[in-house]
Amino acid sequence: MTRLRIAGFTVIFVFLFLFLNLFRLELMGGRKFRELSDKNCIRLLPQEGSRGKILDRRGDVIVGNELSYDVMLMPKDAQQIDQALAAVAGILGRDFKDLKNTFKNNFIASSAAVTVAKDIDVKKAITLEELKSNIDGIVIQPRPRRRYPHARLAAHVLGYLNEIDRWRLTKLADYGYKTKDIVGFGGIEEKYDYYLRQEEGGLSLEVDSRGRFVRALGFRPPKNGRDIQLTLDLKIQKIAQDCLAERKGAVVIMEPYSGQIIAMASAPDFNPAAFVKKANSSLRSLFSSQEAPLINRAVAAAYPAGSVFKLVVAAAALETKKINLNTSFFCSGSMHLGREEFACWDVHNQQNLLGAIARSCNVLFYRTGLLLGGQAIYEYALKFGFSKNTSFDLPYEINGFIPYPLWKKIYRFKHWLDGDTVNMSIGQGEVLVTPLQICRMMAVFANRGMLVTPYIVQAIDGRDISKYKQRISPLSIKPETIDYIRIGLKNVVSDPAGTASALAALPVAVSGKTGTAQAPPGQPHAWFAGYFPSKNPKFVICVLLEHGGSGYYAAAVAKQIIEAMAQEGLI
Amino acid sequence: MASQWKILLIAVLIAAIGILSIYSSTYQKETKLWQHQFIWFILGVFSFFILSNFDYRRLWDGTYFLYLFALALLAVVFITGAVRMGAQRWLRIAWFNFQPSELAKLILVIFLARYFSRKSEYDVSLLSGKFGIFRGLILPFIFIAIPMFLIIEQPDLGSGAMVFFIFIAMFYLSGVRLRYVFIFSLVIALSLPVFWQFLRGYQKERLLVFLNPNIDPLGAGYTLVQSKIAIGSGGFWGKGWLAGTQSQLRFLPESHTDFIFATFAEEWGFLGGGVLLLLYYFLIREGLLIGQRTNDNFGRLLSWGISLGLTIQISVNIAMTMGLMPIVGLPLPLMSYGGSSMLVTFASLGILVNIDKRRAVF
Repeated sequence: MTRLRIAGFTVIFVFLFLFLNLFRLELMGGRKFRELSDKNCIRLLPQEGSRGKILDRRGDVIVGNELSYDVMLMPKDAQQIDQALAAVAGILGRDFKDLKNTFKNNFIASSAAVTVAKDIDVKKAITLEELKSNIDGIVIQPRPRRRYPHARLAAHVLGYLNEIDRWRLTKLADYGYKTKDIVGFGGIEEKYDYYLRQEEGGLSLEVDSRGRFVRALGFRPPKNGRDIQLTLDLKIQKIAQDCLAERKGAVVIMEPYSGQIIAMASAPDFNPAAFVKKANSSLRSLFSSQEAPLINRAVAAAYPAGSVFKLVVAAAALETKKINLNTSFFCSGSMHLGREEFACWDVHNQQNLLGAIARSCNVLFYRTGLLLGGQAIYEYALKFGFSKNTSFDLPYEINGFIPYPLWKKIYRFKHWLDGDTVNMSIGQGEVLVTPLQICRMMAVFANRGMLVTPYIVQAIDGRDISKYKQRISPLSIKPETIDYIRIGLKNVVSDPAGTASALAALPVAVSGKTGTAQAPPGQPHAWFAGYFPSKNPKFVICVLLEHGGSGYYAAAVAKQIIEAMAQEGLI
Repeated sequence: MASQWKILLIAVLIAAIGILSIYSSTYQKETKLWQHQFIWFILGVFSFFILSNFDYRRLWDGTYFLYLFALALLAVVFITGAVRMGAQRWLRIAWFNFQPSELAKLILVIFLARYFSRKSEYDVSLLSGKFGIFRGLILPFIFIAIPMFLIIEQPDLGSGAMVFFIFIAMFYLSGVRLRYVFIFSLVIALSLPVFWQFLRGYQKERLLVFLNPNIDPLGAGYTLVQSKIAIGSGGFWGKGWLAGTQSQLRFLPESHTDFIFATFAEEWGFLGGGVLLLLYYFLIREGLLIGQRTNDNFGRLLSWGISLGLTIQISVNIAMTMGLMPIVGLPLPLMSYGGSSMLVTFASLGILVNIDKRRAVF
């Protein structure tokens, strides 16, 4: 009987052993095995929403989206992956090893699909889609991709898209940005990234042991980004860009009463589509080029103002009654101050203010400047919005600079001399301005005394935000002062001896001011700032040609632009 | 309650659980399997009633005939059997496939019970205690080794090993001298490396994988890993019937046959698994008690042999699904899909019941 006892105990022991192991597996290891089991059968398939479109003031699409197709693989065992990769490689005409490397590099977790090829064309996508029934685990994922129907048009206003960099990531991590996110760089794409940005959604799928779809467990719909409508007029933008052509420089066209930017061109430009295609060689040349094509010269570059700055001096002098319309000075072609000689570009003889504006006489402004003094000119320059950014919508706008006596004392350890005032009176010396600032200054004369805040975003997601954007503050300048200067500006064009008389032939009356800003060692920068039609201005225009020669050339570009606008009936 | 009804009730319960699990793991691909199993279950209950009313003493008389019959079946399988899943285990008879090794297991139990319960012609005492080494060990082992070799060569290592374990168990319980048991264990232990040489590649792989499942997690170790995940992920309450992802989504191979315990434990959790183990234990306990109650040596050895045979098969199968044993193809009695096993298990339970009925006769 003892042998049976032993056998009986053995049976009990065996069952106890099984029971305890069941306990260990299911209760002590339950959570771990549950996770493993979920990992086995749950796959995540991200789905991207489309980024918000950017529209012009008419609602035409400047930047839109198109569908591109990515090939993704559901991770499974190595052999099946190789088989699938070989099939994909065959259809795409790619190297198997390359694809395998991409797969390895992009692999995140066994539960997430891996992208092996991006942006394949539609035909190949269809072929692969047909293959899906034979080979498991291939997913063709349509993905919205930025489309630039107008290529280079308004490239600087838009900016471009690229993978987030470390600096932006640290700054934006709190707002839900992750590594490898595609974000805007420069322009609207950067400034309004938060609005344009789409939200990733996705499917969580249950798959069987061969990676085949069984059912959807959950779906979070992807959210599209919000569309942004700009005040930009694509037609005028195109004219501006075409007229600027190969020259370096910037054109800003603005609506004088509201501050809406109608066109903003900067040259040299770039094609933002290059960042979508990831064409490395062309990208490298964009970044390394001496011409800095990625810089928006209208807001992110400052230039000496040259003669266009004389308008500030004129307004200041009239306001402070240092001179009046009858005050005249004699221009012998230069002015002596101490031992130094300050030149004028021509001999203008006896000259009053209006004449001096028309012919851009330096000597009158030297004298006027000396009457005003550096500090007064500085204060009026601030009034006109210089030395401070315009709080414009685009990123990387710079302040520009206007010197003043205290600054020289503090930062240069020198006294402010009359020579400094003289230089400043014609917008030379330390004076640095952006084309947008000049445009805004010109708008004051166009709209008779209002300092506008330029803006370019009109509506977000169909909601008009211009009332938040429009900030118009009256400059306390007497209407007569404005009127006098407007006469001078009109003379610049209409006076046969005016510096922009070339514009007189246009079908629309233009007022404006040229500038030739000395910028040794190169050619001077050419400025033209003006508004048209002269009587009831609809547009303010500012043209800058970087090292473009005398102001005449800038006026010529402005003429081309206005001519084309008139031809297309846009005025 | 009489033993007969207890045994039947437990067996029917377990078989019902088995059919539920088979339904759950196969209804998506093939709906016929659970219906087949149900038919086999009905046939099994029939065979249970037939054998419970069939005097088991007549098995004594027919032992050698049965033994030869089993050998013949195994030989036929060896020559003409249907090859399925790389093994030649099945005989096609009429409309179904029969697995002779299942029947051979029962016949060998009967044979051993008969062999070890011979009595002296003079004083009617049990002979096994007086057997010398040849009659006590070598001769019965040769009788067992022949069918065992045929089964292992099918190849069906699981059933072969089971026959071997049954031999050890009955040999031990038969009352032969203890020293033979030790000698036998020693010889077996020493000859293990020789057996290793005779194993097939995949069998060696399975044994190695058992020692370290991480050798080949997607190949030979795959089943083991998936089975452990299936059982472990069940937790206390289980994922619910028809909701086990491991078996439903086919991560677990053989989910309705050898690994049915994993399927069941995934869906019914620790609760279900524990209850199932308890049911099996009660079934076996009943068998051992019947053996203890009967006065007939043949009947006693036979019922112990049947009970221990079930114990070995159940524990090896469940231990294998939990990764405590190497993977060998062995069905879980009454649960796994398969007619032969179902039929033979019910038949052997019928024999048990019959032994209990006849005990008053002596």
